[in-house]
Parts: sequence; C-alpha cells; structure tokens
Amino acid sequence: MRLPHVGLTLRIIGVLLVLGVAVFPLYWMFVTALTGDSELFASEARLVPDFSQFGVFIDALAEGKATTWLLNSLVIAAGTTILSIGLGIPLGYALSRFSFRGKVIVTVVLLFTQMLPEALMVVPLFALFRRFDLLDSLGGLILVNSAFVLPIVALILKGAIDGLPREVEESARVDGARPLTVLLRINVPLIAPSLAATAVIAFFHAWNEYVFAVTFVFTPGLQPASVGIANFIGELGTPIQTVMAVSFMFTAPAVVFYLFVQKYVVAGMTAGAVKG
Amino acid sequence: MTALEQQQLPGPRSGTRRRGSPLGSKWTPYFFLAPAALFILVFQVVPLAQEVFLSFTRTSLLNPTHSTWVGFDNFARIFGDEDFRRTLLITLVYVVVCVVVAVGTGLAVALLLNKGFRGRGLARALVTIPWAAPGIAVALIAIWMLNPDYGIVNRFLDTIGLGVPGGAILDSPRYALPAILVTTIWQLFPFTSVVLLSALQAVPPHLTEAATMDGAGRWWTFRAVTWQSIKPTVGLLALLMTIWSLRRFELIWLMTKGGPVGATETLVIDLYSQAFDSKQLGSAAAVGMVGIVISLIVIAGSRFVARAAEREAR
Repeated sequence: MRLPHVGLTLRIIGVLLVLGVAVFPLYWMFVTALTGDSELFASEARLVPDFSQFGVFIDALAEGKATTWLLNSLVIAAGTTILSIGLGIPLGYALSRFSFRGKVIVTVVLLFTQMLPEALMVVPLFALFRRFDLLDSLGGLILVNSAFVLPIVALILKGAIDGLPREVEESARVDGARPLTVLLRINVPLIAPSLAATAVIAFFHAWNEYVFAVTFVFTPGLQPASVGIANFIGELGTPIQTVMAVSFMFTAPAVVFYLFVQKYVVAGMTAGAVKG
Repeated sequence: MTALEQQQLPGPRSGTRRRGSPLGSKWTPYFFLAPAALFILVFQVVPLAQEVFLSFTRTSLLNPTHSTWVGFDNFARIFGDEDFRRTLLITLVYVVVCVVVAVGTGLAVALLLNKGFRGRGLARALVTIPWAAPGIAVALIAIWMLNPDYGIVNRFLDTIGLGVPGGAILDSPRYALPAILVTTIWQLFPFTSVVLLSALQAVPPHLTEAATMDGAGRWWTFRAVTWQSIKPTVGLLALLMTIWSLRRFELIWLMTKGGPVGATETLVIDLYSQAFDSKQLGSAAAVGMVGIVISLIVIAGSRFVARAAEREAR
C-alpha cells in the first residue's frame, strides 16, 4: 500500500532542512553574541541565546566606536541611494523612451561595467581621488559606490518605464508639458515599486561595500561598519561576543529590508540582467 | 534636477513651449542621459582605460605616475608563471563549482517550494536571508564557525567522527577551497532558488497537466515540459553566477587572503595582492585584463548558445 503522506512528510523535512541551513549561521551569530564567557569555551556548545547577556549589544553601542561605524555606513548608503537614483531615473527614461545615436553604446557600457571587479578599479580610482582630493572622505565613497551601482539601477528603472503605457505621457506632452515634468510627475510615481527595489539595492550595495572603503579612508572616525567589522578578523583584543553583536546589528537591517522588497528586487535584478 | 532643467531650456520657458514638439527636440534624450553618462565616464570608463594602459607597462605602486611601456611583457610573464597557471585552474574550479552547485541547489529548493503549502510565503522569505546578508558578516561568521578550537563546525564534525585533524580548515591547503565554496554557495543559493521559483510558477499548468494525463511519469513531465520552459532562466543564472564568481573578492580575501600557499587564490585575489603586496601595478592590471577577457568570452559564448537554442526551437 502506498502511503499518501510519505511524499508530504519528505517535502516538509526537506523544507525544514533548507530553512535550517539558510538561517543557522545568522542564528549562530546571535547566539554567540549572547553566550557568557564561561559557556563560550566550555566543551559543550551552548545552542540557544542567553538573554541575560543582552547588555553586550548596549555596551557595544555605548562604547561609541561601533555607533560611529554604523552612522558612517548610514551616511554613505543614504548618499549613494539618492545619487544613483537621481542619475538613474533620467538615464533609464532616456533609454526607455527615446531612440538616439549612441544608445547601443550606452547600453553595452552599462552591461559591461557590471562585470568589472572593484579590486581592479581600486588603483586608477585611487589616483583619481588623490587628484581631486576625495580620499579619506565619506563623499568620495558615495561617488564611487554610486558609479558602481548606477548601471543596475538605471537598467531596472528602464525596464519599469518600458512597462508603463505611453498614452498618458503623450497626451501630457501634447498639452505642452516639458519632458522633465512628464518624467517627474507622471512616470516616477507609477514606478514606485521598482524605485523601492532599486533604493534597497543601492543602499545595501554601499552599506556592504568593503574594498573602496578600506583603501580610500584612513581616519578611524570615518570608517564604515564593513571596514570596522573586517578589522576584527585576526585581531584578538575584542571579545567575540562584541564582534558578533556588532556584526549582527550590521546584518539585521540588510536582511529585514530585503525581506520586504525581495520580490521586486529579484524581478528587477533578473530583468536588468536578462538583456545581458 | 534644477540644473538639468536649466540646461535643457536655454531660453525663457514660454519660448520652449511654443517650439516644443510632443517628443521634445532631438537633444532631449541627451539632456536626460548626460549627467549619468558623464558620471560613468569619469568613474568607470576612464579608470578602466588607465588599467588597460597599465597592463602594458611596468609601474610600481610606490611611484605610480612613472610607467615604463613594456608591451606584452606582463602577459608573457604571468602566463609563463606556474603560480599564475595554478591561479587560473583554481579560478576555473571555483567558478564551475559555484555555477553548477548554486544553480543545482537553487533548482532543487525551487522545486521543493513550488508546491503550495501553508507557510510557503514565510519559507520563501526565510530562504532569502543568506543572500541579503553582507559579505563581510558572512565571512566573519564563517571564520568563527570554522574556528579550530571553538567553532561549531569542528565540534559537529568531531561528534560525527569526520573531524579534520587539528581542525584548522581554513589553514589547510586541502580544505580551505571547499570551505570557501560552501560559504559562497550558501550565500548564492537563495538567489538562484527565488529566481527559479518564479520561473517555475510561470510554467503553464495546463501543459504539465496534459503531460500527466497522457500518462507521462514525473521525470518525463519535468524533462519535456518544465525543463523546456525554465531553460532560458537556468542559462541566465549560469551566466550571472559565472560573472559574479569571477569578480568575487571580499569573501575570499577576508577568509583566507588566497592562502594557504595559494590554495584559494583566484584571479581577483591575485590581482589585488600583485598590486598591494608585490606593488606591481602593471602585472596586477594584466591579471585583471585576463579576468575581463574570460568574462567576455563567457558572455559571447552564452549568447551563441542561446541563439543556437532559439534556432533549434523554431
């Protein structure tokens, strides 16, 4: 006799296994942050968080260094979001609604730049930044991060504008509205979901960025969290609980925001890349 | 935005309105394009051109403005270097394993989540978590979990009797690359899963039903209907995974710096250490060019395959 429940049970076990694998490392980060010293090095690992240790999060923030890092990351990420979307909207609009000479070249460049490794571009950009006095500043990191995330932002927004009907826009144009007014008043409100997705992509691209931040910024007070946290590696002075608590506070916003907009992000990333 | 507006309308407003065709003038697209294009030119195209130039020179990091033109010497030298050939091989292994396992796991997970069940939305959201986590945090937690003395992975492996002697996985030429691969794939499989899941949900249900009614088994239905319909998505993901893996830096750099003894040194790691440890900007740029050429070949190849498949489908 064939049991109808076997397939279902296997599926449930499979799903739980996948979820366990997906969630465990971040759970472990949280548990490690909330494990007392004595248990951390005991022969039996503690597998659940000890909430009486919660002060480690507060202490990490109160100590000041981590707060500065997170604030720097916030400034860089917010600046990158505004700049890349401010440049990406008109670029996406031009690519979507107009045919002009050089359009193919622009598209190819946008696709091509997405495969350039940051590590390759560090050297020439360092020279450029030194010449224009952009080293050791949050503004410089905003510029470079925007340049790296702009292609995907523009391509996603182009795709979103492609999906809008032209009729409203054309009638507004016939009524004498200027192209920029049409874009800002009519198209931009209609692509709000894609804007949200690109905002999250741009924000966390800059939030996570490491190579430029570690190379272009020297003043400890200007370091973002990615650099601060990476510096914990191989350093022995900081208790592992603090390291994990700071990392967790660095990770949690990225995860929470992605959960909200993941549908649009995935649709946008694939749509932006499909043309590649 | 106001600067843009002014550029676009040199004359008084009323004047432009009178003249304005419904599509604006032929310059309109360039006004929208110009700021972003200028930006990408300054921060991407010009620096890349400089890198191309550097790859044909001998230039030291300590004196970067002084370059000596050496033609193809850098390329000749790196290809003659046994370490570089090993780097290419490691890059190949890393990329191929990432692509195959990330796409394969993604497909398995997508099939698992494709049937309706209670809590599927939650499951789908939770699966996304690794992809959303910053690479720095992933590297940090991986290093802690792999800690030889207190890491949970070693404790677990010891418990089931598969412990690595000494436990120093990331210091072992044999196990460091597999450990980095597992970490990378852990971060990638949510993306492939979610993309493939939406591809699976676009498979027309009447086709699978028709196949089942014709008496086709599950495997046959999958091959004849589902696979045919998701094939373009699989191809696209394979291409994306290849390009992303070729340029991945921070995860590998933070976990091993390419070590031990070069066992995890991919092209990007090699170019970074050539530039900043050996201070050889010329050879670093040459290594970077090799990576770019490989990416371009992969892209061209994938277009060729996609076109051939399209022709066959007709």
